[in-house]
Amino acid sequence: MSEISLLQSALLLGLYVALAGGYGFVYTIARLQDAIRLQQASFILYGLHGLTAIAIVAWTPLQIGWKGLIVASSAAFLAIPPITWRFLQHTHETEVQ
Amino acid sequence: MYRSQQLALKYLTAAVALFGIMTVAGVISAYYYINPDFLFGILHFNIAKILHIDTMIIWLLMGFMGAIYWFLPEEFGRELVGIRLAEILFYVFCAAVAVVAVVFITVQYGNSNEIALWFINQGRKYVEAPRWAAIGVVVVMAVFAYNVLGTAYVTGKVTGITAVLMIDLVPLLVLYLDAFPAISNMSADLFWWWWLVHLWVEATWEVLIGCIMAWTLMQLLGTSRRIVELWLYIEVALVLGTGILGLGHHYFWIGTPNYWLTIGGLFSALEPLPLLGMVIHAVYDAGTHHMKTTNRPAFYWMLAEAFGNFLGGGVWGFMITLPQVNLYAHGTQWTVSHGHFAFWGAYACGVLSVFYLVIQKLRGLAYLEGTLWKWSFAALNLGLVGMVGALLVSGFAQAFVERAIGGSTHEAFMLGQENHWFVEGMITRFIFGLVFAAGYVALVWDLLTIGKRTPVLTAAGVAGAAE
Repeated sequence: MSEISLLQSALLLGLYVALAGGYGFVYTIARLQDAIRLQQASFILYGLHGLTAIAIVAWTPLQIGWKGLIVASSAAFLAIPPITWRFLQHTHETEVQ
Repeated sequence: MYRSQQLALKYLTAAVALFGIMTVAGVISAYYYINPDFLFGILHFNIAKILHIDTMIIWLLMGFMGAIYWFLPEEFGRELVGIRLAEILFYVFCAAVAVVAVVFITVQYGNSNEIALWFINQGRKYVEAPRWAAIGVVVVMAVFAYNVLGTAYVTGKVTGITAVLMIDLVPLLVLYLDAFPAISNMSADLFWWWWLVHLWVEATWEVLIGCIMAWTLMQLLGTSRRIVELWLYIEVALVLGTGILGLGHHYFWIGTPNYWLTIGGLFSALEPLPLLGMVIHAVYDAGTHHMKTTNRPAFYWMLAEAFGNFLGGGVWGFMITLPQVNLYAHGTQWTVSHGHFAFWGAYACGVLSVFYLVIQKLRGLAYLEGTLWKWSFAALNLGLVGMVGALLVSGFAQAFVERAIGGSTHEAFMLGQENHWFVEGMITRFIFGLVFAAGYVALVWDLLTIGKRTPVLTAAGVAGAAE
């Protein structure tokens, strides 16, 4: 890996997780406030996360297995916020009853 | 108040004091990078660094123990078994820490013989304490385990949180036995040494802080036991599932088989997934309570823990965890940046949250609020983020110049150290270290004074404040 590729790869990997976190954070606030705009913003953040994943797959010299992991993780990152939200709601509603 | 809660106060006080020593030693260590002649012939850089790192481990450990001694009697509904022994060992523990620190500062190092090993320094990073002190730590942890297990046995009462805690105490104690060096082959020694360092930090400590945060959530937000226990099981399973084999991400440049690098990269790459779940959980809890609570400092530190853990462990960790990047970043200031952020987020913020929770109970306040905690919160977090940002830049320079271009030769190492990005990063780190130290001073003053000048609110007042 060249010195430029090293920094590019690392920064893209950090950005990849940061955008996934941003998506989860904004998604949760959107659901809490029932705000459509925020929910749209969360999906824009996820879109940026997806673009970062594409950039990692296309431009970095990571081996193919790691690129596969990046793609699979993106799918998991997409699912975690809604699944966690539903589960949180379910556990809290059950508690209230 | 139970005697174990009085003991908890002692542990938490000692933790605050050691947090201060860690900060001072950290600022001194940071200054060496700017002025290598500083304290020349008086205090070596490596000793200041040892003091910084070892006090970091001990203050967090004492913070965990203090928190557990605080919550446990309420959990069991009775005084802990063997509390007298625990009280004695607290003083032994503190005296041992003081003696070891004095030996590190005055004697510093010895010859490569058994005497040095037993009485000066074991020579193993993070667990440098001489052998007698390491045995002392084992005894303290064994008594701690006896307090928990013995009380559970006597009361016959095991909750979900205490069950998780009791299971965790076994590896916590057993792994520490790895602190005693017995292998002369350095590769084999480092292989096992990482079991202690990594599995304490990314496995057993994660479970400890999970238990502590579960109790904190119950007291702070009134979350039901059923919910916190359910989430504790899920989060502990996910964190352990990804964290244990993440061990392999340390196995660079020490002669371990290559497959460890793949295993370590794979499992540690999965670590951000549960951390994201924790962030969502924290935001959900904060949102459903409309950011209202009767103890804002504790609440904000708890939120800082969720976000700090995700950023420090998740984002900063993911940058360097895949083997092709780790190969270059390993052991540079880049990993130091990740280490600072992850320890702060995963553990320190949680312990600070407990400090404020205990202060509120101790002073009998229905509502804990003030101004100074906000300054301390801001300065500590700004200082920490500034430090990790500066270290990141320095680490980039090292990985770029020394590793990727220079091929890790001695000459490349020197070029990396002289690179202006590295040097400016070190200066910036020192400046933000001072900001962090100012935050620590504000924290101590706040812990000493918060609520003392505020009249205790009535229930109606609290209800009004919470609306």
